[in-house]
Amino acid sequence: MVTPRNFGSVSAAAGASGTWDWDIRREILHIDEHFADLYGLQPEAARAGLPTSIFFQAIHPDDRPRIRIAVAGLLAGAELFAKDFRIVTAAGAVLWMHGRGHCHLSDNDEPLRFTGLLVDITERKRAEEKLRIAQSAGGIGSFEYIDGFATVTVSGEFCRLLGLHPAPVLPVQTINGVLLDDTAPLVPGPGDTRIPESVDAEFRIARSDDGEERWIARRGEIIHEGAGFRLVGVIYDVTAAKRQEAELREWSDRLESRVAEEVAIRQQAEEALRQAQKMEAVGQLTGGIAHDFNNLLMAVMSSLTLLRKRLPADPATDRLLDSAMQGAERGAALTQRMLAFARRQDLTSERVDISALVTGMRELVERTLGPAWTLNLLFDENLPFVLADSNQLEMAVLNLAVNARDAMPQGGTIIVSARLCHDGSARHVRLRPEPYIALSVIDHGEGMDEITLARATEPFFTTKGVGKGTGLGLSMIHGLAEQLGGGFTLHSVLGEGTEATLLLPVASAGSLPVKAQQTPADIVADLPSLKILAVDDDGLILMNTVALLEDLGHEVLEAGSGQEALELIGENPDLNLLITDQAMPKMTGTQLADLVTLEHANLPIILASGYSELPEGCQPRIVRLGKPFTQEMLEQAIIQAMRSAAQPA
Amino acid sequence: MSGESITLGELERDALTEIVNIGVSRAASSLRKMIGDQVLLSVPSIEVVSQRRAARLISEREITDLVAVRQDFSGPFSGRALLIFPETNSLELVHAVTGGDVAIEDLVEMESEALCETGNIILNACLATMANMLKRSLTMTLPEVLRGSSASLFDVTAETSEKSLVLFLYIDFAVRSRDIRGYIAMIMDLPSLEILKDLLDEFIARVVGDDA
Repeated sequence: MVTPRNFGSVSAAAGASGTWDWDIRREILHIDEHFADLYGLQPEAARAGLPTSIFFQAIHPDDRPRIRIAVAGLLAGAELFAKDFRIVTAAGAVLWMHGRGHCHLSDNDEPLRFTGLLVDITERKRAEEKLRIAQSAGGIGSFEYIDGFATVTVSGEFCRLLGLHPAPVLPVQTINGVLLDDTAPLVPGPGDTRIPESVDAEFRIARSDDGEERWIARRGEIIHEGAGFRLVGVIYDVTAAKRQEAELREWSDRLESRVAEEVAIRQQAEEALRQAQKMEAVGQLTGGIAHDFNNLLMAVMSSLTLLRKRLPADPATDRLLDSAMQGAERGAALTQRMLAFARRQDLTSERVDISALVTGMRELVERTLGPAWTLNLLFDENLPFVLADSNQLEMAVLNLAVNARDAMPQGGTIIVSARLCHDGSARHVRLRPEPYIALSVIDHGEGMDEITLARATEPFFTTKGVGKGTGLGLSMIHGLAEQLGGGFTLHSVLGEGTEATLLLPVASAGSLPVKAQQTPADIVADLPSLKILAVDDDGLILMNTVALLEDLGHEVLEAGSGQEALELIGENPDLNLLITDQAMPKMTGTQLADLVTLEHANLPIILASGYSELPEGCQPRIVRLGKPFTQEMLEQAIIQAMRSAAQPA
Repeated sequence: MSGESITLGELERDALTEIVNIGVSRAASSLRKMIGDQVLLSVPSIEVVSQRRAARLISEREITDLVAVRQDFSGPFSGRALLIFPETNSLELVHAVTGGDVAIEDLVEMESEALCETGNIILNACLATMANMLKRSLTMTLPEVLRGSSASLFDVTAETSEKSLVLFLYIDFAVRSRDIRGYIAMIMDLPSLEILKDLLDEFIARVVGDDA
């Protein structure tokens, strides 16, 4: 402080340190015994007064010019003298001293005396050196703030950390100026008399020199002094730690979003699975209904056949029988479609040239569409063959073309295209990464909204008016595609049009045209009367089958279950043929066939079924008969069964 | 210290600091008599920097606009002296100087006048001491009050060449319970600075003698 002090009391309190009193006007230096001791002078001589040049005598030569300049300032009127310098004692030891003094001025501001205190600070210098090294090596900046003042005493490292020009004292405002968030000050301002609760805090700053964003931690202590306080603390850079923390947080956030993403994918998959399960259930139901319906139609058809034979020829009754038969046949066609959706129809699998197939049916399609619609066929050249059922495929194309027409009531162009798709898995999730042919029917009509599109392949779903469609078209095509090992996709944009695509597997070069076993047409119906066992759990069907067989001149035994059939076979060793239904409770047709084969390996067996898929392990010798069957089909099956029994493979 | 400060050697800097210190001590003594309160004037830190750097040194510390008292000086070396306060500070200083008896409305009215007077005391003390210690004489113009940002303050006074340097003295005026601080800047061109350097060397030779 600049205020004059009681010099005597200061030196007394300092104890061992030396004091001096420099009489400026008389140019005499008075020193005490400690000063004299440090300088290696006789205390007696010192008390008497010495020439002022003695003051510089023991000062280290390197520090001497600096001290001379400072003293010159003092003698010329500067008030404060505060310097650290080294002295060399008489014994040759180098000591660090702190000289602190001030100038006593007359009332006219004339310098009179220069008095001061010399303190040995060698220990402190070493401590300071350690502290300085600790601060710079550790990147720690220290500060001291006395409340009420507008400035803060800081270390060089403190300034560097904040990117400020190094200064021993900084305004509070300057320090807080680097803060990016104005939540709490780094150092409280002079107007802020509230004592901070804790010194420990972290601050986001923009370094003053390069503007870089850094994180600074503040630690320290609040030292209470009367009503006020001193805030003594350090700051250090924690940007790296903060960044790692942020990175970690980002990782965990990213993990969360990835989990959310995975959950979404899973939900999507679950939704697709639910949809598939629904379709499967609908398929089962449809298949079941179609199966039962098939049986009923069989009863109707076989009864009509027999009725026609037994009634005398009369045009009036013949017409009635014809229309009844036509009705039953149309019913049978419908059940075929339902079974197609349920993937239980009988399909032939042959090598089909798509472009030839579609070109061949062009006229049929155009006639079906009507004059307002144009058909445009676009086929890649040299398309490979596909494995498919050409009849069903034609039906599918016709069906899709009719749908396309209905989507463009004012007329327009319908495109049927076929392209080679090298990787089916890119087009449809169920397909393998193998080549497929994409057969598309494209219209530029009304299109479908998402809800309609989602339900489009459900059976019995139709947008057409009541009575105008069965709602089985697209579901049948869907079933067909899947049964052929392909896929069916529908893309539609409301107001822009629809593209329906069948993806069909390309037939490998080696695969032969495999046709379903067909009864040779040239087999002559020249059979002896046979003893046949007919098995069916459905009494109505059984009765009809028996009637058809008896009409053909055979002797027929009836069984309502597999167990009953086995008993009858045991009792009748002269049995020529077994005709059994496949779907029966407790024992199926194939199970019955296997049991029969154990005892009677040569007994011919015909398996009647509405399903195209026979369970695995079914004996190849068994002749299959699709339901509903006519008397003619039944007869041919019997011939085939008897032939293969007569000529064992 | 920035690379630009190599213009002055260590002893030259010490000598200049000491000379300015004498001036500041005189000014503080005068201020103390005026304010009648404890005034702490820090030992000035001295740097020779470019004007741009000087402007940044102040803007780094001061967010508000500044008030400066300006006096031009001429002699063997000539230039411009500025006593700079943050604007928010100037009324505080005037209030302190006038002893708190004057009403705030009147303070605003007499602010410029009071600032000129305060500036004159401090700048005069510094410049006169420098002239005296260097054994040369300087003439000074009347003080004048300027306001603006640190950049504008230094630009306004940057009529000299682009390379003109600033002898920048930072002095902390700390008055307990008052937020008062200020800066002293002397703007000199290179030839003036060279002359000042020579004069400082003369002074050092005189004071230090054989020890140099």
